[in-house]
Amino acid sequence: MSEIYYSQAASWKNFLTELRQSFRVYVPQKNNGDYLYQEYRDPVNFSFNSYRAVQPVKSFLFYTKEIIAEDIFTRDLNTEEPRPTVVVGLKNCDLHSLKVQDFVFKEGIEVDPLYSQRRENTIFISGDCSGFKEVCFCLALEIYPHPKEGFDLNLSPVSDGYLVEVGSERGRDLVGRYQKFFQPAKQTQIEVRESKRRGLIEELDRHIKEKDIPKRTILQSIVRQGYSSDLWKNFCLSCVECGACNFICCTCHCFLIGDTQIKDRNPRLRVWDSCQYANFARVAGGANPLKRRAQRLRNRFLKKFDFFVDNLGMPACEGCGRCIEACPARIDIREILRELAKVSPIPT
Amino acid sequence: MYNIYQAQPAIIEDIIEETPTIKSFILRPQRDFSFSTGQFIELSLPGIGEAPFTPSSDPNKKDKLEVTIMNVGRLTQQLHSLSKNVRVGIRGPYGNGYPLEEFKGREILIVGGGVGLAPLRSLLLSLFSELKQYKKVLLRYGARTPKDTLYRNLLSEWSKKIDVITTVDTADKEYKGNVGLVTTILKDFSIDVKKAVSVVCGPPIMMKFTTLKLIDLGFKPENIYLSMEKNMSCGLGKCGHCRIGKYYVCKDGPVFTYDKLENIPDIWD
Ligand code: SF4
Ligand code: SF4
Ligand code: FES
Repeated sequence: MSEIYYSQAASWKNFLTELRQSFRVYVPQKNNGDYLYQEYRDPVNFSFNSYRAVQPVKSFLFYTKEIIAEDIFTRDLNTEEPRPTVVVGLKNCDLHSLKVQDFVFKEGIEVDPLYSQRRENTIFISGDCSGFKEVCFCLALEIYPHPKEGFDLNLSPVSDGYLVEVGSERGRDLVGRYQKFFQPAKQTQIEVRESKRRGLIEELDRHIKEKDIPKRTILQSIVRQGYSSDLWKNFCLSCVECGACNFICCTCHCFLIGDTQIKDRNPRLRVWDSCQYANFARVAGGANPLKRRAQRLRNRFLKKFDFFVDNLGMPACEGCGRCIEACPARIDIREILRELAKVSPIPT
Repeated sequence: MYNIYQAQPAIIEDIIEETPTIKSFILRPQRDFSFSTGQFIELSLPGIGEAPFTPSSDPNKKDKLEVTIMNVGRLTQQLHSLSKNVRVGIRGPYGNGYPLEEFKGREILIVGGGVGLAPLRSLLLSLFSELKQYKKVLLRYGARTPKDTLYRNLLSEWSKKIDVITTVDTADKEYKGNVGLVTTILKDFSIDVKKAVSVVCGPPIMMKFTTLKLIDLGFKPENIYLSMEKNMSCGLGKCGHCRIGKYYVCKDGPVFTYDKLENIPDIWD
């Protein structure tokens, strides 16, 4: 049975304010119709974000550029224990992307120390979507606009406040420690939540249908079958190789390791990388399997819809639409998937 | 905190000039370091960078490690300018290596091209330490010119133990041996190609034509072992650079049997 509480809007704000004594608290702030995560400082007003923020969640766990070894010969990495962090305002797409990032950094042959440490130290408070952006297409990927799992706490706006669902032991502890801000939710409030959720799904479903995005179940095969299609060439024409589509994507995880010299130390750095860059796959001898832009655009789709489906059982795309908004060339992932479905022999 | 990106120091004990563009570096790791044949390491120059190399030495020799490096890029050029006693960094070993157990009792045709003989040398040294375990070992090696032929002295030494044939793409005045691509010396051997294994390492184009030729000769795709070269950076299946189909070369390879790769488009690019 799920554990659901009610927190009145003012109590919720007081709760966040108190949290600041023990945590760094990030909340979304409204900015020109978008939401940007910012550290919560009084008198910042908490405004519930109706859709996902601009920044991908990965940026809390895996920084754009950071030192991953103080010196290649020093055995220990000097990381000051980061202050525990609370991030408020993730959506279900963001939570799904954490599955991909966890798979990359926490599983496999070795565990990434920095990522895991931050993951341990970060509490995620997600929320239902109460609206969506034009670019949102999570439903096409069978991701609902409200979370079911993967969060510590989840917020659903109801009149005068929020329902707060517990999703983990850590979430339960938090509510326990700050009991005065929470009271048990009423059945009628939960019914309101359910009907709001249903309403939004219907609205979003109509939106997705208009965009005619192929179903999740056929994405892998259309990307594979479209391997030799001309559409990669056609779509990449306007690409300026800025890498924004990768950097803004909540599931993209590629990075580059680089060594530098600072006085007598030789720190090792890790920097986000983009498969849309010309040298991404180039080897020292000069061979480059991703020489052409069309190959690189295709690579982005193969990685997301083929590699990850084979290795993780899910595509590395959550339909957040961030790449669509970020692309200066207006290259639209929905359109590419739709065109792939058209040239693919499978009935859709 | 244990850090997977940390290198450990190794001292360059000796440097051997193999060809005008290839040098071997004999490294002495400062802490215990072992690998199995065919696995690779990340070798770094402090403050400059890191690149993957497959050791060319006998994995049974635990105190030293040898890498044979062709001067092809920024890092390898810097490595080539080093002298003895310099400290470098090593990380690893990474990847799967050659499955020696599967080779036991079988005929093994080893085909090398250019600097691709380096990892194969490590394999050969492993095989030599228990040569009776293998039914037959043959080596076929091609280099661009006689000058580019790697491990010349070793090749003649090895030919006392196993069947060795070499060739060059282009001859010079003094040269008397075979001329032609390595695929032209893949013939006249009395092995049962249906059961034998083949191990191939070299530049992509050489691997491509060798593999096609081996298939032509009757080798089974699952018996052809290829060492794939991709742009590897982390070596740990995290950085995303070395993807090929559903695999990461750094962790699922670098050694793959051809049956795993044959349906992936453009694997030789
Ligand atoms: S590919 Fe685009 S829509 Fe999909 S998760 Fe990444 S940024 Fe979002
Ligand atoms: S954001 Fe657009 S222009 Fe930039 S690399 Fe991606 S596809 Fe190309
Ligand atoms: S080298 Fe980083 S994933 Fe293979």
